[in-house]
Amino acid sequence: MSSFLSQLHFQLSCALQQRIEICKLRQGEHLILGFSIGGGIDQDPGQNPFSEDKSDKGIYVTRVTPGGPAEVAGLMMGDKVMQVNGWDMTMVTHDQARKRLTKKNEDIVRLLVTRKSLEQAVRHSMM
Amino acid sequence: MASVNNSKNLRDSDIQKKIDHEIRMRDGACKLLAACSQRDQALEAAKSLLTCNTRIMAYMSELQRMKEAQVMQRVARRSDGTRSSDAGPMDDRLPCKGKVAISDLRIPLMWKDTEYFKNKGELHRCAVFCLLQVGGEIHDTDMVMVDRTLTDICFDNTIVFSEASPGFELRVELYSCCSEEDYSAGSAPRKLASKLSSSLGRSAGKKLRVAMDPGACSPTSNAGAATLLLPGPAVAGPKYHLLAHTSLSLSHVQDSFRTHDLSISGNEECSYWVPLYGSVCCRLAAQPHCMTQQMMSGCLKVKQLGGDPPSWTNVYGVLKGTNLFCYHRQEDMEANVEPAFTIAINKETRIRASEKDPHSKAQSICISNQYGGEEVTHTLSADSREETHRWMEAFWQQFCDMSQWKQCCDDLMKIELPSPRKPALVTSKQGSLYHEIVIDTSDDISTVTDILTRRMQELELRSQLGTSPPWMSLFEESPGGPRTPRLARHSPRSPHRLPHSPLSSLRCPWPGLLSSDASLTSDSDSPCSTSPCSRHRGWAEPLSLSSPRFRPRTLSLDAKLSTLRGRGYGGVLQCSCQPPSSSSLAPIPAQCVPQATLSCSSSTSSNSSSEGSHSPSSLDGTPFSRPSSARRSLRNLRAKLDPRNWLQSQV
Repeated sequence: MSSFLSQLHFQLSCALQQRIEICKLRQGEHLILGFSIGGGIDQDPGQNPFSEDKSDKGIYVTRVTPGGPAEVAGLMMGDKVMQVNGWDMTMVTHDQARKRLTKKNEDIVRLLVTRKSLEQAVRHSMM
Repeated sequence: MASVNNSKNLRDSDIQKKIDHEIRMRDGACKLLAACSQRDQALEAAKSLLTCNTRIMAYMSELQRMKEAQVMQRVARRSDGTRSSDAGPMDDRLPCKGKVAISDLRIPLMWKDTEYFKNKGELHRCAVFCLLQVGGEIHDTDMVMVDRTLTDICFDNTIVFSEASPGFELRVELYSCCSEEDYSAGSAPRKLASKLSSSLGRSAGKKLRVAMDPGACSPTSNAGAATLLLPGPAVAGPKYHLLAHTSLSLSHVQDSFRTHDLSISGNEECSYWVPLYGSVCCRLAAQPHCMTQQMMSGCLKVKQLGGDPPSWTNVYGVLKGTNLFCYHRQEDMEANVEPAFTIAINKETRIRASEKDPHSKAQSICISNQYGGEEVTHTLSADSREETHRWMEAFWQQFCDMSQWKQCCDDLMKIELPSPRKPALVTSKQGSLYHEIVIDTSDDISTVTDILTRRMQELELRSQLGTSPPWMSLFEESPGGPRTPRLARHSPRSPHRLPHSPLSSLRCPWPGLLSSDASLTSDSDSPCSTSPCSRHRGWAEPLSLSSPRFRPRTLSLDAKLSTLRGRGYGGVLQCSCQPPSSSSLAPIPAQCVPQATLSCSSSTSSNSSSEGSHSPSSLDGTPFSRPSSARRSLRNLRAKLDPRNWLQSQV
């Protein structure tokens, strides 16, 4: 029993890494991805509702537009964005993050995100 | 050999023409100085004189350096009989040149309270200007009159040097001249100067002729001529002295404001002394040519991934900046159609030539990039070996440029040339609250804040009636002005400006303080943010007086402000759901305004350290304009008082 619990604890502290490929959608002059981000090294991390560690200054997905390119690609609210097309997003300002996602010459962005999923952690520990 | 000499002679004569031109300008300035009666004219003429002299000196040194190089080459040729090439060894790759622009220079001042009591009667004023030099190119800024009502010296000029190498050294020199001396009075140093110049007149003239002669090849005589040429004709009139200087280089280049240290010469005893805080704030941007120009273009074939036998697509490739744009046809590029695809060519790209394809005779080029952990390789092929070689050369040159220009090649920095017209609401004095508020030294902090509170209330009423003092324009947004281009960058993303606000676009007379204001209508104002309060989050920062990121304030002021808040004025700030009444809002600017003014005098470093970029997330100490412009919208939109500051952006 104790080993199961410690295993469970280990799984809970792990996060799932996902690779998400989003094809930008053209709306008039703009290329949009269909989600919102929050966070950054210049923001107050205590206000982040999605982070477990309240000193985490990373970039989090705060909203996903229903039916938008991000939702179609599998991005979920609460995901923490680690990389965008190879660029690190764990130590960037909010505006740097926004800029890296909205480069005009890129049609596709490949995100590396981590997702805390209790369900999956429990499932893994059962196997 | 003849062609080398010809190009040398061409450069020589170019420089001599420039020297002649500057000497003529200098003569004109001297004549003007002698003729003018008004102090302002004299100061301007003296400024032109100094600029001309500095330019002449720079050209003379360049001439001297060229002659020295010529002599060295002749010596080398004679000694070993081989011909040395002009540009050095051929396998050394030279990085491309670029544009370097310096703008929004601001030098904070540090007046002591005793300054207020010196010089009974008229203000002690100095005329200041800056000389900016890169290599042989020298530019001067406009002249600014400085007196104790000014908190910063601001130069609005944007100065662009078009051909700078990555190892450039931008020398910034601040000259000042007391504007109260009586210039016509005879003085011993001047008499000496005139004696010297007249006695050396003949020999100076001879040496000057020798210097101008392209055949002269002795460096020492040129050096002598250069120093004798400088004092020139003795002039009566104001003289500028070097007050401070600094040198900037590639490591200081950034796409935002930065603060640099100044080396100060002179001391309080000098007539031209102005109490500088010791730093200069400016925006130094660079656009290397490899980022703005097409470095290479031509027809290429791109291998399609997968498929056997591999198929090739014809594209027209253009190498510019950190990208290789591949268009379907050349006409597409000229018509500004979007490219078919883009291959990144940046610091992390790896390029190599390969001989893999046994069918084609030409080599192919493989370009590898990392996209999100995966390596993506594009294989390109040119029409012939020579073309392939030219493309590889272009790529190597690009890598060389990027390694030399470093951070300038990450993203293209904007260089804006200022619009020629000045907005009508600009105050003639460079906006200072000291001007308007009478504060006795015996007043303590509480009296100061009370005075300011009353003043703001007065101004509230007055602005409602339509009249407002000139410095209110600090809090007003006006159309046009140098910040508009930056705003335009943000406006497509957030078309929602504040409703009910009579203000249109921001004007920042204090660029350092208000730089982040340009982004107030940021993405955080988009209608699609999650929480109901987030719409107004962008406005929240300035009112969050408890935010740890705020500039340091004097402790007594802190205490005073918190008691003011405790009394209920600040209650508006804490509760986001109460509609603020107009009476309780009046003190808010008072709380914020003294921060700005008093912290200006006590720690101007906080002014100049607002290094934040023009991003919506930049929060560094800008209480000055935001609360006032937000004041009106606060009355209408209660949720803007949300003191939380965690921005969200929609992408």
